[in-house]
Amino acid sequence: MSATGETSTQMALRDPDIRLMLQVREDHAGAFEQLVARYQHRLVSVMNHLIGNAEEAEDLAQEVFLRVYKARKKYRPRSKFSTWLFTIANNLALNHIRSRQRKPLVPLRTTRDSGPLGARPAEQLVHDPGTGPVQRIQKDELAQRIRDALDSLNERQRMAVVLNKFEDMGYAEIAEVMELSTKAVKSLLSRARMNLRAALEGYIHMDGAPTAASSHHHDDLDEVELADEEDRP
Amino acid sequence: MSQSPTPLPLNEQERADLVAYLDGELTGEAAREIEAKINLDPRIRAEAESLKRAWELLDFLPKPPEPAADFTERTLERLQALQRPATHQVLGRWLLALGLWGLLLVASGVAGYQGFRWLSPREPGEKELLRDLRLIENKRYYDRIESFEFLQQLDHPDLFGDETNP
Repeated sequence: MSATGETSTQMALRDPDIRLMLQVREDHAGAFEQLVARYQHRLVSVMNHLIGNAEEAEDLAQEVFLRVYKARKKYRPRSKFSTWLFTIANNLALNHIRSRQRKPLVPLRTTRDSGPLGARPAEQLVHDPGTGPVQRIQKDELAQRIRDALDSLNERQRMAVVLNKFEDMGYAEIAEVMELSTKAVKSLLSRARMNLRAALEGYIHMDGAPTAASSHHHDDLDEVELADEEDRP
Repeated sequence: MSQSPTPLPLNEQERADLVAYLDGELTGEAAREIEAKINLDPRIRAEAESLKRAWELLDFLPKPPEPAADFTERTLERLQALQRPATHQVLGRWLLALGLWGLLLVASGVAGYQGFRWLSPREPGEKELLRDLRLIENKRYYDRIESFEFLQQLDHPDLFGDETNP
C-alpha cells in the first residue's frame, strides 16, 4: 500500500508506466525496451543538464535503466513510476558528480564584464534575438554564462533546480526523489535561486540599472553556501 | 564613501517563502501574505523580480542533445552483456552440483563394494591353511567322533595306560 492508501493495482490502473514496469518485473518480452524508449529523452535530458556532457549523460542514463532492470523483482509501486526512476537517477548522478570531484568554475563576477561586447542586459540579448554573427556570439555567451551558473551550484541544488525547472516537479515530488523533506527542498531551491541570481547578476539588470536586490548578492552567495551545508542529512 | 546597502526586510525563511510563492508552491493565507509584502515594499518587489528573472534565464540554456538513435539498442546490448556472466554463473553452479553428485555416487559405489566384500564369505588364505593343517589332515578322524566330550574321555590316562605316551 502506498502512503495514500492505494493498492498497487489502483496505482497501476492510474499510471500506465507502473503497468509497464510491472510487466518488466514479470519479464514480459519487450516491456523493458518499451520503458527505455519511453523515458530515454527525459532521462538523458536531465543527465545532460546535470553533467553537461552528452556522452557521460547517455552512459549514466543507460546505467539508470540497467539498475531499474536489476531491481525489477523488488519493484513495488508506491508512487509515480517516474518518481522511482528519478530517485535512482538522482543517486547515480550525485555519486557520479561527487566521484568526478568537480571543482566549481571560476566565479562569474570576476569575468562578467569580459567578452567581446562586455556584459549586456538580458533584455538586449534575449528579446532582440538577431541572426547575425554578433547576436549569435551574444546568445552563445549568454548560454555559456547560464551553463556556468548552473554548474556553480552544488550538486544537490543543481539536481533540485533541474527537476523543478526542466521536469516540472513540485517540491513534494522533488523531496521524494531526493529523499529529503519538503521543507529542505524549499530551502534548497531558495538558496539555489539566490546563487543563480548572484552568478547571473550581469544579465538580470533591467534597463541597465541594477535591481535593489543585486547589491546584496555577494554577501548572500557566501551565506547560502554555508547554510546549504547545514541542510545535508 | 560608499553607502551601505539597505538590508532587505526578509529573513531566510521569508525568502524561501518568496521563492516558493514564485514557484507556485504557496496557496491560501501564505500566498496572500507574500503578495501583500510584494505590493507594499518595493525592495521585496525588486527582490522577487530579480529572482524571477534569474530563473527565467535558465530558459535560454540550449536544449540538450537528444539521445542517439541507437540508445535503446545499446542499452539492451549492455543489459545482455550483464546477463551473460549470470548465465555462465548458473551453468557453473549446475556443473558443480553435477560434479558433486557424481563424486557422491562414486563414493557410495566404493563403500558398497567394500561392505559387500567385508560381509560376504571368502576362501581361507595360505596362513590360515597352514595354521589349521593338522586339523585338516585329521579331519576324517574328527568326523567320526561324535562329540568333543568323547574325545576328552579318550584322552584320559586310565583308559589306555602308558601306551599312549611314546
